[in-house]
Amino acid sequence: MEQNRVVVTGLGTVNAIARSVPEFSRALQAGRCGIRPVTVFDTAEFRTHNGGEVQQFAPREMIPRHFSLKRMSRADCMAMAATIEALNDAGLFAVPDKLRGEMGVVIGGGAGGMLECEAVYRDYLLGTGRGVAYSRFASFCCASSADQIASQLRIMGPKTTFMTACSSGATAIGYARDLIQTHMAPVVICGGTEPLCRITYAAFNALQAVDPEYCKPFDKNRQGLSLGEGSGIMILEALSHARQRGAHIYGEILGYGVSCDAHHMTAPDPEGAGAALAMRRALEDAGVSTEAVDYINAHGTATPANDLMETKGIKTVFGRRAYQIPVSSTKSMIGHTLGAAGAIEGVVAVLAIHHHFIPPTIHHQTPDPQCDLDFVTEGARASDINIVLSNSFAFGGNNTAVVFGKFTDSGVSHA
Amino acid sequence: MLRRVVVTGVGLVTPLGVGKDVFTRHLFGGLSGIRPITLFDTGRFDAKLGAQVRDFTPQDFIRPATLRRMDRLSQMTTAAARMALDDAGFQIGPHNRDRVGVVLGTCFGGTDVAAQFGKVLFTDSPRRANPILVPNVVMNAPAGHAAIELGVRGVNTTVNHREVSAETAMAYAAAEIVRGRADVILTGGGDIISEFYFNVLTHFHTLSPQNGGMEEIRPFDVQRNGTIVGEGAGIVCLESLESAEARGAIPYCEIAGWGLSAAPAGPNDWPTDATGPSLAMTRALAAAHIDPGEIDYVCAAANGGRRSDRLEAEALGRVFATPGRQPRISAIKGSLGEGFSSGGIRAAAMALSIQNRILAPTLGLFQPLSPLNFVLKAETQVSIRYGLVNGVSSGGTFAAVIMKKIG
Repeated sequence: MEQNRVVVTGLGTVNAIARSVPEFSRALQAGRCGIRPVTVFDTAEFRTHNGGEVQQFAPREMIPRHFSLKRMSRADCMAMAATIEALNDAGLFAVPDKLRGEMGVVIGGGAGGMLECEAVYRDYLLGTGRGVAYSRFASFCCASSADQIASQLRIMGPKTTFMTACSSGATAIGYARDLIQTHMAPVVICGGTEPLCRITYAAFNALQAVDPEYCKPFDKNRQGLSLGEGSGIMILEALSHARQRGAHIYGEILGYGVSCDAHHMTAPDPEGAGAALAMRRALEDAGVSTEAVDYINAHGTATPANDLMETKGIKTVFGRRAYQIPVSSTKSMIGHTLGAAGAIEGVVAVLAIHHHFIPPTIHHQTPDPQCDLDFVTEGARASDINIVLSNSFAFGGNNTAVVFGKFTDSGVSHA
Repeated sequence: MLRRVVVTGVGLVTPLGVGKDVFTRHLFGGLSGIRPITLFDTGRFDAKLGAQVRDFTPQDFIRPATLRRMDRLSQMTTAAARMALDDAGFQIGPHNRDRVGVVLGTCFGGTDVAAQFGKVLFTDSPRRANPILVPNVVMNAPAGHAAIELGVRGVNTTVNHREVSAETAMAYAAAEIVRGRADVILTGGGDIISEFYFNVLTHFHTLSPQNGGMEEIRPFDVQRNGTIVGEGAGIVCLESLESAEARGAIPYCEIAGWGLSAAPAGPNDWPTDATGPSLAMTRALAAAHIDPGEIDYVCAAANGGRRSDRLEAEALGRVFATPGRQPRISAIKGSLGEGFSSGGIRAAAMALSIQNRILAPTLGLFQPLSPLNFVLKAETQVSIRYGLVNGVSSGGTFAAVIMKKIG
């Protein structure tokens, strides 16, 4: 059987600078910063206090009344809100009856229901409160978001959750694309979701990986990341299916690649060999040459180690052309959303193609002689983009790169 | 070009023993791994029993430098991965390490480590939180540790979807080999018993005893009254047929197909009808291009749960409906307890069943809840052409993997 081409027909997001895709697109072009004091929990006892928190998140206003929010965590609600937006955008909400049996959902997870369970766990440890509200644990597992989406939409296709830390969202997009390409499902809801929570916040602080102010990707004085939260969801669809129903097509998923550093649990391979391998595999899977890449959405966490190794990895893959490709880190605006990062950055890649712009790396002031690529530091740039490479690298050495392309009827290779 | 995928090795760290020889002797010999829990004090719980991993010496399998950084789950999964690789006789070298991957499923991951990390955070101060614990708080730690220990740089992914994590991981791994993205993938999964989630399962009335009954695990039995927890890791070495043939390896069996599905269910709850779990199996059958009547043997997910066992039995009855052509069915959690990401252990058991022509007993099953063709006592000299490993999980997620005898 011939493999399906896989296109993007709907987008949804909530994050620190937007609660919808149109708002996100404007904020990215304006280079807005969403990193502020965290309010979802008290940071007084922590070493740092800022984060990319979703502002005034009101799930009840974003999710239709007939959907229950009972036992849903903040992470579940963000994923659900983004899913509803994406399905509406794709013209698939409500989900047509004939699609329910086959529509799938693949989510990249992170801390899941940790934020809510922390309070329960504290009660349990301290023996305080009115007793321990164990029912909160119903949404503890990060699989809960995919479960809620599938159950409330009543869809019965493939469902799963990946948890590869900071590359979960990108891997979810890659796997969803594979499911459609190989005829396991005609339409898949995919993406990622991540809440700010105390355990994660304490963990990155314990590793001294957090910039107390805000992250400064690729800057010489970068001190670490800013944690963020949010969700990015996209509706992937077999081209034939999208055409048949006359759907609007944002772009195409051309390929993805995965590798492992096999180096260290929390530090990347300093030479970027694992990162380079994932990028090469993604381009090969997509049938795209290094010459054809117009923009790289970097992992760009702003930790000293990541940004240096990513720069090296890009140079390894692209050679001299590395200097001609705009590379930006949108984490400079929304923080590092961990399990959701690859998915939100996938939304960025598709928006960049669709609205012809390259989002900037903000907060970049002092060039680093070792990180010397075109980091789009002067603000967003208008540009006609055909191919975007999006990088996600994670704890455990889990690297994923995804190639997004402008949709063209012929689908002839972009080589 | 689409490639065929075979199982060339198995690795096991289980309550029935470490390594395939002990495991085979004990599982098919009808032993149970269930005993009083010693990992923590069960005094305040009704449930006292569990299938713990005992007699496991991680130093036998893992170098000291990597071992000291690992949590208990990572030790088990990494040791099982090493065993599976050795069982396959596959040598890792600079020429092939980029084409060897690790894809694991885990339901709880390092939740015990997260609890330990959180304890300092909540009873002392976030500033005193221990950075050494951080890497193992993350669910993908076991796969990352295994890659470092084995030195493999291919696909490395963790599926974290409740009880079907390992089945889904194996489906993903097989697809990666079919597509040519890797030649060898160590896949399966694992979970450990921890006091932290034992609390939560007690609250959700998942564990036996319930309704004043005895504490026991009775899969598919009318008298079942909840499950008993288990733990351990099971890894299968999946390899492209061409890679196995090129090095003269003799596979246990082939991965013939897999199917994934969902069904509406409440949070952590079960669907009300058997459509969802039936779909995963029928999708797997379609992918393997076979009729239901061709399945000889099913390694079921049943764990003694009141509703989940009924649901799975209904689905099995619906999919395998032709009289006289119904598969034999074993539920080995009767011996192993509910190990959560147990799909890897059960896939390894299926590979051993196919190779040794032996069916595992369903311990605790005396009065079947439905007239399916259950295996009560071990049976030998049974030819299995096609076997199905079934996965069901709360929240309404299902996965089935079909394994086929070669030749």
